[in-house]
This record gives sequence, structure tokens and C-alpha cells, in this order.
Amino acid sequence: MSDTDIVESLKRDLGAKALELTNPAVRRIFLKVATADLVPAVTLLRDKYDCAFLSTITGLDTGEAFEFLYHFASPVTTIHVRTTVPRSDPRFPSICGVIPGAVLYERELQEMFGVVVEGIPDGRRLNLPDDWPDGQYPMRKDWKHVRPQEVIPGGES
Amino acid sequence: MSFVIPIGPQHPALKEPISLRMTVEGEVITGVDIRLGYNHRGVEKVAEDKNWTQNIYLAERICGICSHSHATCFVQGVERLMELAPPKRGLYIRYLVSELERVHSHLLWLGVAGHEAGFDSFFMYTWRDREIVMDLLEMITGNRVHYAINTIGGVRRDLDEGQKAKVLEGVATLRKRSEYYFRLGATEPSFVARIAGVGMLSKEQALSLCATGPVAKASGVARDVRKEDPYAVYDELDFKVCTADTCDVLGRVVVRVNELLESYNMIEQMIKGLPDGDIACKAPRKAKPGEVVSRYEAPRGENIHYIKANGTDKPERLKVRAPTLGNYPATVEMLRNGFIADIPLIFAAIDPCICCAERTVTLIGARNGEESVVRMSDLRRQALARPRNAGVKRNAVWPL
Repeated sequence: MSDTDIVESLKRDLGAKALELTNPAVRRIFLKVATADLVPAVTLLRDKYDCAFLSTITGLDTGEAFEFLYHFASPVTTIHVRTTVPRSDPRFPSICGVIPGAVLYERELQEMFGVVVEGIPDGRRLNLPDDWPDGQYPMRKDWKHVRPQEVIPGGES
Repeated sequence: MSFVIPIGPQHPALKEPISLRMTVEGEVITGVDIRLGYNHRGVEKVAEDKNWTQNIYLAERICGICSHSHATCFVQGVERLMELAPPKRGLYIRYLVSELERVHSHLLWLGVAGHEAGFDSFFMYTWRDREIVMDLLEMITGNRVHYAINTIGGVRRDLDEGQKAKVLEGVATLRKRSEYYFRLGATEPSFVARIAGVGMLSKEQALSLCATGPVAKASGVARDVRKEDPYAVYDELDFKVCTADTCDVLGRVVVRVNELLESYNMIEQMIKGLPDGDIACKAPRKAKPGEVVSRYEAPRGENIHYIKANGTDKPERLKVRAPTLGNYPATVEMLRNGFIADIPLIFAAIDPCICCAERTVTLIGARNGEESVVRMSDLRRQALARPRNAGVKRNAVWPL
């Protein structure tokens, strides 16, 4: 099955749900869906297109919105599902019911971007320390690391 | 009566120090909880402040064993963003180093697996032979760990005829010795019995938990980026994807052994078919706005970099997923229903670093909260005593 066949077939199956469908390079198909259609689209990819393997989820801060890219791979191609949530209400559904291996990536998104993944089976922090202050989300573009002032005990000699 | 055993975080497990809390009932593990981030360096955030060239060296420092895989994955993505076509000779040298790195990583891992199973001569033999490939890497690149041979548009050092002959000679020695030692392993029944049936991961679990690399291949999932999504030179090379269907540590050993032999073949093909010409082309300082997904088969599995450019000399976003992170959910399943004495072996089946250092394990009594500290050497002694307590798979066969 070539990329063009898969794109045509996806067009038929998803209809208006596919907001954008591009094939910029060989074995790279980018699909954009609304947040509400994410879980049905992922289920379709898993069952019909053999895309049960989720490589990772990339989060992007585009200013007024957050963009998420779910990188799926099948034996013949890779499909990258994009969805956008507004910064004012950053909520989107968990896909762990369909792809159980997604849980670590969703936990990472929650702590790094300050988004809410609804229905995540395990919503604890993954990478950030337990004493990390609330409301600090390192991968947001407006977050800058400020190195704390070094204090030398006893002052400089 | 269940206990919780925290293991880590201060040991170099799975690339970063991680903390595992094991719930055990008697000797049997009933639950595992993973806590990451003790060595989180914020590489993705730092990358946004560095230019394209600086980021090659930053990406190379993500890992100390498969350093070349991150640098290559990043560079091949940036080359696609900049619409560069690196010369064939440069690509051949780059992926020659990739395969040599796979050989060194798998030999290192095999030694550790032998050590954890109590077969220390296997460990000494494989680590002695690993020096051959480390010397070859040093000869080609100038370094033993961070090779720094990649540049945007090709590689930084050329190969001459003498070096080509030395690589062929080294690979011939390695192949002969590997075959001998693997026959040795196959005829050592206690070694095979120790690793068979340990750390089970079914094919269904491997698929649903998105396992990758030798862990998935040992469960019968023939998933290899070099075959499914051939990048650069891999569609010109003749190789096969190695799998096993035993779903246990034995299967992971067999997959890595077969991958070694495949890598020797690929190295010979690349040296013999090394084209003439330049080794690098000139790269622009900036990249046009765009995005690219770069995939690479690292020794431990699929490595994926997502790179977004915004028209400047710095990336807008660099997302890195190292293969080990993808294997954590599968690790939890492998450890479940296993024995405490199998922990070192199952860990070793994923990444060799876990066993480098002496570590401490704290046992907390769930009833009285009392803590007692067990040294990793004691845990290892338990692991060695485990076959004597039966429960291991008898009459297992080395399927080579």
C-alpha cells in the first residue's frame, strides 16, 4: 500500500473529520483532527491501518494554542496525527484506552505544558521533582530558566 | 502480606538513574512503579537556544553508549529540513560508524547478561572483544565514546585504504570469535536454563505497550526502522530483521547475537562498496520554516526526533524520544510475577548500565514500616543461588 493509497483511503474513512491531510515526504503522512475526534481517529488507525505503535507524542507551544502530534508507525508508513487545544482551556482526551503504551507520554505532556489529559489512568508527575512549584511548566515558550544565585557558605575568600 | 522495595534512583539504570518501587509478596513481584527524572537535564529546552551545529554535539551527549544514534538522527532530520543531499561516501562512513556502534553496544550488553546470569567467562570474553571494535571506532573517528564524526551535510573524517583493511580484519576476527563464544553459550546448559522463561513479555503485550528494539523483536514483533522506513543507505544493504519467539531473556540474547552477525555483514558490505567522492557538502547556516520527523534504529530500538524550524539558525522545537523510554511500560510487565532474584537479570535484558555499579536496595516492611538495606551484591548472590532453588525451565534449547 503506497502513501497515496493510504491518503485516499483516510480521506474516504474520515470524511470531514480530517481537517488537513498532507504527505510532505515519503512515508510521512500528517493528519489534523479536532480534539473531539482524536480517540475515534486513533482507534481507526489502530484497527484498519495497523498503526498500533505509538512512537511518542510531541507537544508544541504556538503562542495562543498548544499543538500535539501523535507519531504512529505502521510497517509501511508513519502517520502523524495533529490536534490543537486553546491555551485558555487546555483539555483533551486520553488515548490510553486505545493505546495503553501512551501513558508515559501523556504524563510528560501534563507536567511540561500544563495541559489536562482527561481520563488518564495515572496522572502523576513523570520527570519533574516532587517539590517542583505548581504552575511552572518548563516547555511553554514563555517559561525561562533562571539560574538561582550561587551562595558560597562563608562568603568568597 | 506485601512489601514495597524501592530500587534506585542512584544507579545508572536505563540511561538515567530511575527509581523503581516494587511491591512484593514473598519472593514474587506483584506491582512495579517507575519514577523518572532524577537526571533530567532539560536537553529539549536547551536545544531551543543553540544553533544547528551546536545541537549536533548536544544531541550526541544525550546518551553515553549510543551517542552516535542521537547525533545521526538529529543530523539526518536537519539535512532534510535544509534540503541537502549529502554525498554517498559521507553517508556510507556515517552508517558504518552506526553499525560499529551497534556491535560495541551489543557486545557490552551480552557481557553484562552473562555476568548477571553467573557466567563470568562469557562476560570477560565479550568485553575483551569489545575492545577490538572500540579501537576501530577510535581509529576512524578519533574518539571511543563521543565520536563527533557527524556534521550537517556529511561526516568530518575520511577513511583511507589502510583503515578499510583494518576494519575488515577486525570484523573477521570478531565474527570468528563471536561464533565460537555463541557455540560455547549454546552448549552451557546452566546458562541457557538461567535465562529461559525469565522476564516474559507476550507478543500482544509488546504490541499494545509499544515496545521497541530487541525487546519487541524477542517477542516476535519484526519491527525495525532500517527495514520499514529505510533511511540513507539501508535500502542498498542486504540484511534481515532478527526475531525470536520465546518472549523471554533468552530470546533477547538470541536477537542481539543474530543482530551482531548481521551487523558484521553490513560493515563488510559498506567497506567493500564504499563509493568515491566527497565526504560532506556545504550546509547553510539557517533552515527554512518547516518540520521533519527523523527515525533511526538505535541498538536499543527506534529513536525518533521531531524537529521544527522557524527560519532562524536555531530550532523552534526539538523533541527526542530515546528507545528506552518506549520500553518502560513493557519493563513493568516483564517484572510483574517475576522473582526478586530475577530483577538484575530482567534489568540487564533492557540496558547494560544497571549492573555497572554496586547499589543499595532498601526493604521496607509494609506492616511496621521498618527499613533494612540490602546491597546489590547480596541481591546478585540471591540471583546466582536462584537456579538451585528450582523453578527454572529445564531442557531449554538455545535456538541458534
